[in-house]
Amino acid sequence: MGQPSCTPNDIKPLPVALPLNEEGLAFYEKKYQRDYNQWTEILQRNVERMSRGSLSLEWMNTDGSAWGKRAKPSSRGLTYSDVNKLPTSGEMPATATWMNFTPRGSIRDRYREEMPVIDDYTVVSRDELWAGNVVTLYEEAVARQWSATRDIPWGELEALPEDLEKASCQLFTFLTEVEFVAGDFPAKWLYRIPQDFLEVKSFLATQLMDEARHQEVFRKRALAGGGLLHASPGFEWALKAILDAPTHTMGTFLLNLLGEGLILSIFRSGEMIAKTHVDKEIFRRTLQDEARHVSYGVLELKNYLDTHPDRAKALEEMHRFADVGEQIILTAFTEATVIEPVAILLGGGLDKIEHGLEGMLKVWSMFIEEYLQRCERAGFDRRARCKIPVDAPW
Amino acid sequence: MSTMETLGNKAAPESPAAALLFPSVGWFEALAGLMNDDRETHEHLGFIDCVAQFTVLDGAADGGPVAYQITFEEIQATDVREVKPEDAGRESFALEATKATWREMIENISAGGGRPDLEHTLNALSHIGTPIALTGSDPLERDCYFRFNQSLQQFVNASAQLPTVFDGD
Repeated sequence: MGQPSCTPNDIKPLPVALPLNEEGLAFYEKKYQRDYNQWTEILQRNVERMSRGSLSLEWMNTDGSAWGKRAKPSSRGLTYSDVNKLPTSGEMPATATWMNFTPRGSIRDRYREEMPVIDDYTVVSRDELWAGNVVTLYEEAVARQWSATRDIPWGELEALPEDLEKASCQLFTFLTEVEFVAGDFPAKWLYRIPQDFLEVKSFLATQLMDEARHQEVFRKRALAGGGLLHASPGFEWALKAILDAPTHTMGTFLLNLLGEGLILSIFRSGEMIAKTHVDKEIFRRTLQDEARHVSYGVLELKNYLDTHPDRAKALEEMHRFADVGEQIILTAFTEATVIEPVAILLGGGLDKIEHGLEGMLKVWSMFIEEYLQRCERAGFDRRARCKIPVDAPW
Repeated sequence: MSTMETLGNKAAPESPAAALLFPSVGWFEALAGLMNDDRETHEHLGFIDCVAQFTVLDGAADGGPVAYQITFEEIQATDVREVKPEDAGRESFALEATKATWREMIENISAGGGRPDLEHTLNALSHIGTPIALTGSDPLERDCYFRFNQSLQQFVNASAQLPTVFDGD
């Protein structure tokens, strides 16, 4: 193993902060000057009231609300399901009209005219987001969080023979590279989703946290085993295709149902072929998180198709999208940076890579069959059109 | 069939004379009791909500299959039963293997003091469909095996605390 390429003595000071973007600041000033009358009216009203020594107490007026009903915890605590039984929780709308941060269920109608509008809230249809299991998955995600620092028995990590160590570190490098697209993608859409869809936003936030932890644990494992190895252009194109998906549902299909479904299979393979208990623990923990994301993807697509006013059109659009997405995902999953390390770990060494490749033939077919079954579960039959071969391309 | 009330915090038998037969509903009840005793560990792992079926393909007296369903709710095993015809389809997923495979796994966990070696985790044994086959008619329910994998591994790891005798010994 070589010397580390960087030592603490090599660390240089951070560059000085860039000058403030004048153009951006000017735009911001202009924007809030344009709306000056609206927000200063609120400010003046409040200052005048306070200067008179007067109290408002209007916020204690519960007319028109169902205030007074108390949420009661169930055996597992106070869940979203528990509080959503109350009328005061507010009903999730089919189409969101509140383009601000007002909580669903709050007394807000009387303030509507004074509210700002968040222009970035563009995903206003519930059926572009909702999945019947999203509340369950959110609570499950919160309850099953773990720590990459604390819950992995890092102290047990032992050096492997060089071929197995390099294969492990390449696999972990590849996983580090791919993991955070599953954070960036929900992040890209999260801020476009109005607050009335808080359960979906909450679940996507757990997905973000899960992916941050996955990136963390894989990066730490690679660095603990010798270092990060090679990046993968084929995967970069797949990740870009996910981020560029034209709608939330299409991207969720490509990321959660297909992409994460395949990554789930890699995690399961990783657990099976792990050469250390540390790696086994890493994969068992991460595969649990990944399976939640897959479950959301399946039922989100199902809900989208089931509720679409023109199901045939929606299906054809999804097929057109999948025709492209599957080919790009296939490009990724033929990269040497993932196939070869897995084959070496499966075979038991570089000299047994052929044996490993043979073993991967079965795993490949299983991956694709599981993907097709999940599509069917969502009401999206891809068997006749799937661009990914059922048999591995080697 | 045992429910939460009867499972309670049923501890493992303390003397070798009280060793439990595998496969049997008593063996799975004792395993469920161990889980319910170890609340701290399972609370840390998080909620588990599914019905797991363990099928012993040659475990019946006539050499045919026998299966046991464990219902997990929140952080406890709340129901253990030997599967009768009317129970078919209750399971989220089933893990199917021969008696020899289950025995090898249980003995490996015991030899490791509650942790299997690299080749004998549930996932390692089931990933390619052999020697343990993962089955289930609904892919979404079947995925519960993955969503709760660490808890299920912890559940079977506790078998190291159970003095076990195997049918045919």
